[in-house]
Amino acid sequence: MGTEVDDAYLVRRAREGYVDAYAELVDRHGQLAYRVALRLLGNHHDAEDVAQEALVTAWQQLPRFKANSRFTTWLYQIVTRKTLNRITRTRATESLDLLGDISATGDEPGQQTERNLTADAVTAAVAALPPPQRIAIVLRHFEGLSNAEIARITTNTIPAVRSHLFRGRRTLGQTLEQWR
Amino acid sequence: MTDPGQPVHDFRELLTGTTRHLACGADIDELLEQAADGHAGQLTGHQRHCLHCQAALKEFSRLWEPVRSLAAENVAVPATLKAAVAGQIRKLIADVRYTLHLSDSGAIRIAARVVATIARDAARTVPGVRAAFGRSTTASPAGKTNLRHHHPHAAAGVLGRTAVVDLAIAAHYGSQLDAIAREVQQRAIADLRAKAGLHDVTVNVTIDDVIT
Repeated sequence: MGTEVDDAYLVRRAREGYVDAYAELVDRHGQLAYRVALRLLGNHHDAEDVAQEALVTAWQQLPRFKANSRFTTWLYQIVTRKTLNRITRTRATESLDLLGDISATGDEPGQQTERNLTADAVTAAVAALPPPQRIAIVLRHFEGLSNAEIARITTNTIPAVRSHLFRGRRTLGQTLEQWR
Repeated sequence: MTDPGQPVHDFRELLTGTTRHLACGADIDELLEQAADGHAGQLTGHQRHCLHCQAALKEFSRLWEPVRSLAAENVAVPATLKAAVAGQIRKLIADVRYTLHLSDSGAIRIAARVVATIARDAARTVPGVRAAFGRSTTASPAGKTNLRHHHPHAAAGVLGRTAVVDLAIAAHYGSQLDAIAREVQQRAIADLRAKAGLHDVTVNVTIDDVIT
């Protein structure tokens, strides 16, 4: 059953030990955690691991969650930190198995292959960006967040976020230009 | 310096070069941002009359199209994610079990979280209830705090068939709240008896929010 209460209500109940209130938060925002991890890491397996770790960590750290902030902002923060840890540990994103993601678009096989190749190429280009630029690009251009929100999530200043975005866009633009 | 009358065509050079401005003085990074944000068609006063800016916006917009396209794709969440998270959280919390039957043949027990789920689902069938959550363990984030410290009536009954369940309810604004609470109690108790065989049941109902 989907409920009509807001995230803040669910967070309060979850903090009191109502596990099913937290399950509702996972239902609502599990996709966010997985989607961001997938865009940052470029492969499904690592993304699922990171999303899972992030959602469990969020549960464990609920007592430290500040009631005046949004649950999603906090979750973005946890996911990006977990992803950074993963990147630092592995220093490589080997498999780019995004094809399964976009297999049901209704295109003809030829179009589908082209779309998949393009999606893989963009994914590879994003994954090749240095982590600070990659996070800024994903949060801004894949998640549609403002620079101020990104600054809060990454605990950066807004000018620093703008700088990461400028450099990230140029690098990504150069790579995209090479494919044409 | 490029002739202001001749729009630039080598956009790769624009992106790789050290120059930050077009011949007209427009900032390349800001134009790229405008295009990446999907606002290439929203021209400023200067851009409406500037061939440099118009050409750059058009080109950057085309360049960025694969990114926009990927960003628009729906990402399906793995079906196993929610269950995996729930499984890990269950390991973190000390879930109690109610012993229903104990004999030489063995014991029959039911997990407190199952009891809480039955009570919660019963509560959600009551008209006027907009959200209901159940708690029947010492569960708490981090698995360290025993809820009974905070909540003297919180459930942790593990003896015999006695169960104590807490239900947090958000009710429809304008409903008669005491009637809703009583109905929630009755339905939860009836379901716990019918579905789990728990006969001594205490159901604490807290209506902690109303929704218009």
